[in-house]
Amino acid sequence: MITIRRTSLLLAAGFALAAGMAQAETLTVFVSPQQRPDVMRLAFDRFEAAHPGTKVAIQTGGTTSELQGAYLNTVMSAKDTTLDVFMLDIIRPAQFAAANWTVPLNDQVGDVGALMKRYLPAYAEADMVEGKLTALPGFADVMLLYYRKDLLEKYGQKVPTTWAELQASAKIIQAGEKNPELQGLSFQAAAIEGTVCTFLLPYWSQGKNLVQDGRLTWDRDAALKSFALWTDMVASGVAPRNSAEIATETTRKDFQAGKAAFAVLWSYGWSQFQGPESAVKDKVGVAVLPAVTGGQTASCIGGWQWGVSAYSTHKAESIALIRFMSSPEISKFLAVQASLMPVFPEVYEDKDVLAAVPFFGSVLPVVNSAHARPVTPRYNEVSDIIRTQTNAVLAGAATAADAATQMEARLRRVLK
Amino acid sequence: MARSWRDPSEATLARVLLAPAFLLLGLIVVYPVGRLLWTSLYELSLTSGLPRRFIGLENYLSLLDDPVFADALVNTLLIVVITVPGAMLAGLGLALVANLPFRVKWPVRLSLLLPWALPLAFAGTISAWFFQSEYGVVNDVLSLVRTQRIIWVNSPNLAFGAVCATIIWKASSFVGLILLAGLQTIPGELYEAAQMDGASRLRQFWSVTLPLLRPSIAVAVIFRTITALQTFDIPATMTRGGPGSATTTLAMMIHQTTVDFLDLGYGSALAVVLFLISMAFSAIYLRQVRAA
Repeated sequence: MITIRRTSLLLAAGFALAAGMAQAETLTVFVSPQQRPDVMRLAFDRFEAAHPGTKVAIQTGGTTSELQGAYLNTVMSAKDTTLDVFMLDIIRPAQFAAANWTVPLNDQVGDVGALMKRYLPAYAEADMVEGKLTALPGFADVMLLYYRKDLLEKYGQKVPTTWAELQASAKIIQAGEKNPELQGLSFQAAAIEGTVCTFLLPYWSQGKNLVQDGRLTWDRDAALKSFALWTDMVASGVAPRNSAEIATETTRKDFQAGKAAFAVLWSYGWSQFQGPESAVKDKVGVAVLPAVTGGQTASCIGGWQWGVSAYSTHKAESIALIRFMSSPEISKFLAVQASLMPVFPEVYEDKDVLAAVPFFGSVLPVVNSAHARPVTPRYNEVSDIIRTQTNAVLAGAATAADAATQMEARLRRVLK
Repeated sequence: MARSWRDPSEATLARVLLAPAFLLLGLIVVYPVGRLLWTSLYELSLTSGLPRRFIGLENYLSLLDDPVFADALVNTLLIVVITVPGAMLAGLGLALVANLPFRVKWPVRLSLLLPWALPLAFAGTISAWFFQSEYGVVNDVLSLVRTQRIIWVNSPNLAFGAVCATIIWKASSFVGLILLAGLQTIPGELYEAAQMDGASRLRQFWSVTLPLLRPSIAVAVIFRTITALQTFDIPATMTRGGPGSATTTLAMMIHQTTVDFLDLGYGSALAVVLFLISMAFSAIYLRQVRAA
């Protein structure tokens, strides 16, 4: 009796194994170099261990959000079946939902409402496009103020809460250090995605919104003040003259090399500044971005989402993978391993996470109050208009008044 | 005698033999161009979530009040006007140098070939670093004569100049190669005869070299003009079209409209415009060449 049972068990196990092998599926996942493919690989290994018979292969490319967007646009408009899963910048779900490029997840995750309540509200909102669950949050990101603790201390300066305070402190530090290489503030004004945030930070800080319910709520005065804030930073020598050349990575490298007292940058800078190649290790503080005088602080929200391609031939396995990747366990894993910001509020209070990245303890209010860039399927056009005009103003190639007029006219063409 | 399929008439045979060529041309030229024209008459944007809709010439009408299109058109034509003569002169100079009776010819030929063999996007990226305000070699050299670093991307004119200089550098080696081939077909006796008649070096160049080089020059000008009209890689990697839209070309705008904005209808209309301009330039040159 016992032997028979054992034999049948063995047989059953053998069949299951054979079935699993026969179905050995490989999921191709697009992860850019910005999103730490080395750490993602470790998370995928865990998934493979839990799902025998499913392999995950990483495809990587495109170092900026724009390049990744252009690549995914090409692959998806060709209805290519080779990609199964991809990471989307927070600005893209609206476009992907309109183009029907991702598998809607409403029927795949059980109780949608209950699931989405567990995430930070900003991500639950960004991934739910007109009632369609388009993607699942992967990791969060937000723009922060990085400052040199040592320099602020040396000159008796407080952490600034307004841009005017920052400008004054930066001048004192620059004058005291007498180092022509030392920038007071590094921010981005090259014609890149981050420059959209550069324009919007002071705009939002004045209590204004650019787009409401898909409609343009343009405030010319707020736009002019935003331009003026940044051009004044350059004119006063606090920000470098070549600010129109500065992209995200330029800021990161300059601050890391000790060439800037303050920097406006995404959260990924933190782990780099603490790295062995950093000249500012243990000298860096992180704070909420300053406000305009009389305004409220405003940050720009970023972050990456997991989506399943509508043209994938392994949809069930792909959905299993993104549900795995969008879990509190993996969120914690990514925070500890790569200081990527969690998308679940409770993970910010986790002991291991706080030991690895102490500033996560105070960053949650920043994430919760951060603003989202305009939500529209035509975001790429909106982004292009804002960043080229902001770049032109900072380059001195256009006056603020002309740029504001152009920006409004062109935004009206897109947002109607 | 009844003809069987084994023994077709000459006319039938000709048709059968030409068919593959026509089929191939149809597939790679007629179909895509026709499809492009067709798409340009539709409203077809992948971000709208709507099916395509026939709108006639509306895409072409919106071109008229699109400020970026105006900038891109002017920039593209300016690039032709500046870089075609620029590359011709630089290329002619290179060809004349390479044609000198060196004892060892290959280093000269190789240095003529190298810029041509470099991918355009590489040339653009390299050049972007050359002109970078802080670390660039151009400002390094200029610092010998001026104290203030030039921020090339802060001025529409300087940025445009830097892009044109890069295009001329890149294109001159191709022009040089074509002209060098032309120079080598000119028989040496002509120069000997001219010398006996007492012609100076300059006179020889003017009356012997240039007239005989004319067909090569025409070929080089046609090729250069068409590629200048399609300028994309160098400004895309050097300046991304900035500051503002000061260095945006038509080809860059087409790419952005279709690939980034997914507006296939409007992008197709833009592509048709560029296609027509290229055709017009080619027609003018071909007529010139035939007349010559």
